[in-house]
Amino acid sequence: MPLDDSVTVRNTVAYAVEQAETTARDSQQQVALHLVVVASTRAVDPEAQAELGDAKSLLDRAEVWVEEDLGADPPTNLDVTFEITGADRYLFSPGDYADAILAYAADNDIGQVVLDPEFNPGGTTPMLRPLEVELARDDVTVVTAPVERPARSTALARAATLPKYGTVFGISYLFYLLLSTYKPLDFLTGAITAAIVSGLLAPIAFSRQPSLTRIPKQLARLAIYVPYLIKEIAVANVQIAYVVLHPSLPIDPKIVKFEAAVWGDAPVTTLANSITLTPGTLTVSVSERAFDIHSLTADVRGDLFEGGLERAVRFVFYGREAAAIPSPRERGQGEDEDAGSSGDPEVPADG
Amino acid sequence: MTPTEWAIVALALVGAFFGGVAAVGIVRLPDVYTRAHAASKSDTLGAVLTISAAALALQTDLSTIKAVFLLAFMFLTNPTAAHAIARAAQDQGIEPWTAGDEEGER
Repeated sequence: MPLDDSVTVRNTVAYAVEQAETTARDSQQQVALHLVVVASTRAVDPEAQAELGDAKSLLDRAEVWVEEDLGADPPTNLDVTFEITGADRYLFSPGDYADAILAYAADNDIGQVVLDPEFNPGGTTPMLRPLEVELARDDVTVVTAPVERPARSTALARAATLPKYGTVFGISYLFYLLLSTYKPLDFLTGAITAAIVSGLLAPIAFSRQPSLTRIPKQLARLAIYVPYLIKEIAVANVQIAYVVLHPSLPIDPKIVKFEAAVWGDAPVTTLANSITLTPGTLTVSVSERAFDIHSLTADVRGDLFEGGLERAVRFVFYGREAAAIPSPRERGQGEDEDAGSSGDPEVPADG
Repeated sequence: MTPTEWAIVALALVGAFFGGVAAVGIVRLPDVYTRAHAASKSDTLGAVLTISAAALALQTDLSTIKAVFLLAFMFLTNPTAAHAIARAAQDQGIEPWTAGDEEGER
């Protein structure tokens, strides 16, 4: 059973323990119950320490719950294991979590996964297939624990906090004032407008808590990135103009796939848009981290796998160290430029 | 003419050139994907250069700020639109044209 700190985790643990106990008492065989926290960040990530700490404390609590539920007379053929998995890679979407859970299940010979109904790792974005669907890939039985849960308002609206309101208010106020005529009345109407905007949009504007240290850093690095991007766009546009105006139209279009070493909604979106903006390459579809890219000529395919853009996007979002991750070509991608079979599908994002 | 005026003329001309390249590209290129290339990129650069010329021409005016916002939003929305078109084409099962195909066939 994958654990997460949700409102129904306690009841789900109770259900899993009850199931395991019944099975153990009914049969003579050894029954194993694994309670697993799936860590989303890699252990080397700066945020990983906090996450692993949370995971440990959750496992400690789970241990107490299991003792409570089993009571004074636990069946002797029931093993309960508490484990953290997935710390060796970044998990981004429900599909990634399903991979990690299935891998763990395969390693430990587990036949049934008990899901907490509130366990929604990687978000519930309508674009992504939910975890239950992803888990059904393998022949592991998936059971969602029949526990009562409080009705939720909407999945989209996350808890809005003061920093979120503040950030949205500040940005919209600034935007309003920039376009205004700087009369005293504008300051008043701007404040009212910004208040309405932040009231409506703050709950959905950020997926993470805005941080006063992270965002200025990212903005500063973005300011370095934009001129770089514009230069790339200009150079590549000249190439495309040459190709398009050349009498024999020397194009060799092909769709290539590559697995980008960026994680999270904003970096993936930025990279996808940057790839489309750089002439000769067009992002056709993005699934998690796998990009399908239509490229116009062999030259631009080479540039793509050199990974300059990818590296720059990593620099913007994660800082200088992350920019040092090897380029797609060095990771063994793009050598065979055959659409559909390029590279290893499970390229580990090792630094 | 002042240097600024030269810059404005140059930007507008180069922008118009890339706009023209985009148009030629849409006519000449063989299939929906390659045409999306021309429509999204040469076009973006063309529009961006032309708007930059306008921003320069307007000088310190408030409209310059608005022009800069326009630029930023073009950079954001144009690739997104191209992506939407290409993705829709892929969902429809349209095979990309490759160099091996007959010229003119789609």
